[in-house]
Amino acid sequence: MLHIKCPHCGMRSQNEFSYGGDASVKRPELNKEITDEEWDNFVYNRKSLRGKHLELWQHLSGCRQWIKVERDTATHEIFNTYKAEEEIS
Amino acid sequence: MSQNFRLENGGLINRNKKLSFKFNGKKYFGYEGDTLASALIANGVHLVGRSFKYHRPRGFFGAGVDEPYAMVQLYRNNETEPNVKATEQELFEGLEAKSVNCWPSVNFDIGAINNFLKIFLPAGFYYKTFMWPKSFWYRVYEPFIRKAAGLGVVSTKHDKERYEHKYEYCDLLIAGSGPSGLASAYAAAKNGARVILAEDKPRFGGSLLTSDVNIGNQSGDDWANSIISELKQMPNVVVKNRSQVFGYYDHNMLVMSEKVSDHLPKTKKYHPKQRLWYIRAKEVLISSGSIERPLVFGNNDTPGVMLSSAAKEYLKVYGVLVGKNPLVFTNNDSGYETAIEFKKNGINPIILDSRVNPKSEIIDEAINLGIKIQFSYVVIAAQGYKKVRSADIAKISDDKKKLGAIENIKCDCICVSGFWTPTIHLASQSGNKTKFKEEIDAFVPGKSKQNETTLGAANGVFTLEETLQSSFIAGQDLSKKITNNDNKISLPNVVEKKSSQHDKFWCVPMPEGKNYKRFLDFQNDVAVSDIEIALKEGYRSIEHVKRYTTLGMATDQGKTSNLNGLQLVSDIENKVIPAVGHTTFRPPYTPISIGAIVGREVGKHSKPTRKSPMHSWHKNNNAVFVDAGVWLRPRYYKQGKETLFEASKREAKNVRTNVGVCDVTTLGKIDIKGPDAAEFLNRVYTNAWLKLPVGKARYGVMLREDGIVMDDGTTTRISENHYHMTTTTAQAANVLSHLEYYLQLVWPELNVNVVSTTEQWAGAAIAGPKSRKLLEKLFPYNDVSNEALPFMGYMEADLFGVKARIFRISFSGELAYEVNVKSDNGNFMWEKIIELGQEFELQPYGTEALSTLRIEMGHVAGSELDGRTISYDTSLEGLISKKKDFIGKRSLNREAFTSSDRQKIVGVVPLDKKTSIPEGSHLVKDAKAPLPNKKLGHISASCWSVEYDNPFSLAILKDGKNMIGEKLFVMSPLKNKVIPVEIVSSHYVDPKGERVRS
Amino acid sequence: MQKYSIFNLVKNAFSNHENWDLAWKDPAPKEEYDVVIIGGGGHGLATAYYLAKEHNITKVAIIEKGWIGGGNVGRNTTIIRSNYMHDENALFSEFGMNLWRNMSQDLNYNVMFSPRGIINLAHSDAQMNAYARRGNSMRLNGIDAVLLNREQVKEIIPMADFSENVRFPIFGGLMQPSAGTARHDAVAWGYARQADSMGVDIIQNCEVTGFDVTAGKINGIRTSRGNIKTKKVGLCVAGSTNILAEKLNMTLPIETHLLQACVSEPVKPVLDRVVTFGAGHFYISQSDKGEMVMGGDLDGYNSYAQRGNLPTLQHVLKEGIAMMPFLSKLKMLRTWGGIMDMSMDGSPIIDKTHIDGLYLNCGWCYGGFKATPASGWTFAHTIAQDRVHDLNAGFSLNRFSTGHLIDEKGLGTKTWIS
Repeated sequence: MLHIKCPHCGMRSQNEFSYGGDASVKRPELNKEITDEEWDNFVYNRKSLRGKHLELWQHLSGCRQWIKVERDTATHEIFNTYKAEEEIS
Repeated sequence: MSQNFRLENGGLINRNKKLSFKFNGKKYFGYEGDTLASALIANGVHLVGRSFKYHRPRGFFGAGVDEPYAMVQLYRNNETEPNVKATEQELFEGLEAKSVNCWPSVNFDIGAINNFLKIFLPAGFYYKTFMWPKSFWYRVYEPFIRKAAGLGVVSTKHDKERYEHKYEYCDLLIAGSGPSGLASAYAAAKNGARVILAEDKPRFGGSLLTSDVNIGNQSGDDWANSIISELKQMPNVVVKNRSQVFGYYDHNMLVMSEKVSDHLPKTKKYHPKQRLWYIRAKEVLISSGSIERPLVFGNNDTPGVMLSSAAKEYLKVYGVLVGKNPLVFTNNDSGYETAIEFKKNGINPIILDSRVNPKSEIIDEAINLGIKIQFSYVVIAAQGYKKVRSADIAKISDDKKKLGAIENIKCDCICVSGFWTPTIHLASQSGNKTKFKEEIDAFVPGKSKQNETTLGAANGVFTLEETLQSSFIAGQDLSKKITNNDNKISLPNVVEKKSSQHDKFWCVPMPEGKNYKRFLDFQNDVAVSDIEIALKEGYRSIEHVKRYTTLGMATDQGKTSNLNGLQLVSDIENKVIPAVGHTTFRPPYTPISIGAIVGREVGKHSKPTRKSPMHSWHKNNNAVFVDAGVWLRPRYYKQGKETLFEASKREAKNVRTNVGVCDVTTLGKIDIKGPDAAEFLNRVYTNAWLKLPVGKARYGVMLREDGIVMDDGTTTRISENHYHMTTTTAQAANVLSHLEYYLQLVWPELNVNVVSTTEQWAGAAIAGPKSRKLLEKLFPYNDVSNEALPFMGYMEADLFGVKARIFRISFSGELAYEVNVKSDNGNFMWEKIIELGQEFELQPYGTEALSTLRIEMGHVAGSELDGRTISYDTSLEGLISKKKDFIGKRSLNREAFTSSDRQKIVGVVPLDKKTSIPEGSHLVKDAKAPLPNKKLGHISASCWSVEYDNPFSLAILKDGKNMIGEKLFVMSPLKNKVIPVEIVSSHYVDPKGERVRS
Repeated sequence: MQKYSIFNLVKNAFSNHENWDLAWKDPAPKEEYDVVIIGGGGHGLATAYYLAKEHNITKVAIIEKGWIGGGNVGRNTTIIRSNYMHDENALFSEFGMNLWRNMSQDLNYNVMFSPRGIINLAHSDAQMNAYARRGNSMRLNGIDAVLLNREQVKEIIPMADFSENVRFPIFGGLMQPSAGTARHDAVAWGYARQADSMGVDIIQNCEVTGFDVTAGKINGIRTSRGNIKTKKVGLCVAGSTNILAEKLNMTLPIETHLLQACVSEPVKPVLDRVVTFGAGHFYISQSDKGEMVMGGDLDGYNSYAQRGNLPTLQHVLKEGIAMMPFLSKLKMLRTWGGIMDMSMDGSPIIDKTHIDGLYLNCGWCYGGFKATPASGWTFAHTIAQDRVHDLNAGFSLNRFSTGHLIDEKGLGTKTWIS
């Protein structure tokens, strides 16, 4: 069971969270002209690589905040967690 | 029967408490503290079962968790348990057990015919045959094989036992209470760390219980006892026996199974049978010891052949002799320790040592005791069928290739020692890349992956002094990091005998002209010849070998066979062992009861049950409930002997003619507040929201980003910056997360907050032409006229002193209202509605009538919004704003979504106006067309229209827009039905929607 | 090639089994091939076999990073079925069922195909209706399906929970009597042996490190054992698709997730069907060895770790006990994980790509094993003819852009919950 540090609540077990997918995917701005390809890249296409993966989790049974987690998809090591609004360098 | 093989004294059993038990129907006696295995051996019983494939006789090989074959069917408290290891099962009064995998009895087993056919049954034989004739595999061969396979028997009765879970956090979890576990636990505990020390056996001490050592002027087991007693007194220490740490999961989560009641005749009241501990540890010390490796020779599976360490354990812990004429066959000094124990108890063992001329203190001691030792000697084969009677032995050349003349010597057991294999399972499970250590010819943990440290024999350290020293230090250092205390423990004086180098030799060559089976995996009957065949046929990777031969795949998971298998592959393939590699260790270390893994969430409690505040009223009024997700909802209220069909028709009809009330508490409710709430809704829903006035409700549809409809519902503007959203029962949780996602991640600039209020409100839908009249009675102080509360209007009102919200919305298509009060007042509201509704002939209605009402109105629900439909398909495209952007809009231009013959919702009426249309049927043009028959659409929902008194269905139909008036066939091959139908509008009743506005 | 039969088995027994041939050779890669299949799993091996058998293309190499059959073909719960609602999946799978029925004879390797029937349990009328929709669709597509009521289910699997103490009572079920199981390893080995005998080079321990693409055309691949020239490359690496796609600068509608499975200790036969739970995600069958083979949900987050986590397993087994309470008395013996290509609509991709000569076979989600023969057959066709077959036309890569989705579950793009 993963141990995830919620940036708002502290260390919590995985079963308090729900997963939300690739956090590097940015939703295109509303009303902006974009190509079909750009839209498909947002809706469907994922890199999903082995190794470091920035992803979303929601602290569902806690503060209900969406957070970003940097995790290794091969070892599940968690390098860092961030608040939703935090910019990640 | 007397315990002929029990020593007069000695052992750690309680000789004051004699226990009776039955094995294969025969009564025996043992003592408290025995295992079933030790008690049987004490009674001279060595034949306990039959092997998987050849049904060869099987006895005891080990004395604990490593046991590959002594498995029995256990009977305890009117229940039976298959495949219980006799070496682990503690004896209790009245225990009953039987042999498994034999018929009619373990002594005379028909299946043993396989033993004579064994030359035809090499590894993988089943892949090469049973192919003709074609249908025979499933019909003839497979049923026969299935019957022969499988060890014990499981009864399909429900399990009456209870299993618990416990969640723990600690500074140090220590797995194993041998010397390294005790020393590290002691040092860490003295430093104030919170320690959990787990031992899978009933007794603490591990190898200290059986080894002839001295620590600080105490014997090994006395020292262990004193440490354990002290640890038990410390408040920061939890000491658990009968507890196996079986899994090392991510982020230092370890799971331990505690056998709370298995050693008792029955589980005590309120006690669990087993308890699963989820332990999150800061540091993990793996002190799981090592398992002795077998030596491989002919018929080495004969009962009476066992690990020398097991023989020693039976002697020292249980006071039991595994034989009175023992032969010890060893490639290292450990066999000598066993032989010395025999000798000390008046038994004369013979030692065969494969080594040329080893020298050590232990060997000297054996020589001094007068034990007969033959160097450069090996056992070629055990003789005897159900029990060892003698051994064929021979001298072996120094290069281990040539055998001398075969001699036969009498013996009644053969104790083998092929040196030691560290138990690295937990370390490997943690992700540790293990490494091969040449000096001990075994794998040991490499660099720590998580916070695990492996100590003592598990780390390949086989001397006590070094083990204790490193363990004291590890315990101190790791705890110091956590507690900042620094209490030094000084190493007590350790007296142990030094061992000499083991022999790199495990498999005795086959003598000319002989054809013995030399077993590697005892339970699965995998022999050296099987490995040879696999390699010969090109199954070269160790994974291929394992899968082709089933080596290491039995219930012992290869604890005693894997390394010998690897050794053999490396010898034949001429590769070093690390190049062969080993298969991955995965939890569980030893089989764990599924009941324990699951815990308390069984039966009615497998998922939570949600009930509305009015649940007991429904129950008291003959409601028949239906599961709606985890909610229970009244499906209908049964009157007399009514069927579901009759009751729902009555209830729906009453809504259409009078007035009905339906519990709608389960609908998801979300409070949305903030100055940007309207803008937010405008982005979430497909239609426009910026101009919704306060006190008005609006129906909305939300999409997923891929353009598929996600959910629908009404949202009401309660006040300037406050909205009340409703969702479907099924999607409530998803919609809330969805909203939070956009607010927190995508549009954090919007000043909006959302919170679920589903539990805060009880809801009642009042529907029917007389509903306004009822409302006037319910809210005498409020004006509920059509003018004051028009369709899609909202007001706050006073229900006899209780604050209520009235929404004029309708799912039934009738004039209807939804009244919400605080959950606590739900019953009050409901009872008031029932009471005052009497004069209007009000009846409660359930979900079935609710369905009927919505279907004939053409309102969509979950069966249409099934995660595959877009707004157009469900005729909700009118709610798509062209002016603004919203979630999912960009997807709507996809080719398939805009094609001219896109599917669309329609109504379906049978031509005969009588035949009910089964839901889940499909629409076709030609009912007699050959298969595959092209499907044009499917029936999503069906009802009996109470308005027109004939069947009516909704369907999602290809090119539905242009199909109105067409005649098609509804086909339900499952129900053998073909129904000619006409396609009509989905708005079957009140197509102009006049009633809701009346 | 040696024929496998009872006669040969007996004959070899008398020569101590010393005369068996290699099931497949272990050649070094040649300089050039007509077709290179990347991935020595079930699908790759089947593709090579059908290339040779159906299209007479035998200058073929299978490039496998580890050892053949080590991926999902050896890590599944061996279920074979064609009980799909959507035509694309149904017709494809049913075509595969016919290949399964003849596979042991076709390959001269007993893959132990055992049509023991699969039952999907339903726990509400709504679910019965959803199953009816699927079952009727199957029947109209010429696939066998039977809708069972509660009593009929009880007759077939009385050990399921028909008691009062049940959270979601069994209403009935949808059964496909011709569905079943097969011995997974044997499928890989059987295809390998035949492909090898027809001249296919099975190259193990050979990692693909790059692709040689010029002017939109594939010219070869780079591997840890040297460069290989070829005009046609078939990518058949479900579980690692994203990793190889990156080397091709492709981003696919696929996420990589872990699916766990487990077996109980072996017991005497009690369950002779494949059964799935309807109020959750759990499936079970009893192997010929007596082990209960069980599986359910994904671990729930992108993963390349072939090791699972306990909460998922606990959740899956909880549903198992909810369905068949006696399971709590069994012991869990072994667990393992397989890495899945989870596509964004739950259905696979077998298609050409924008690179000439590069063909894609991926996105199998949970359903890869059962699809092995049909996937190999259609992929071989697609590669050999350079055009898709009717059977895999629906499994196009561009269906996500066009909206022609094949979403059996209606869960959309949240692959981790599908």
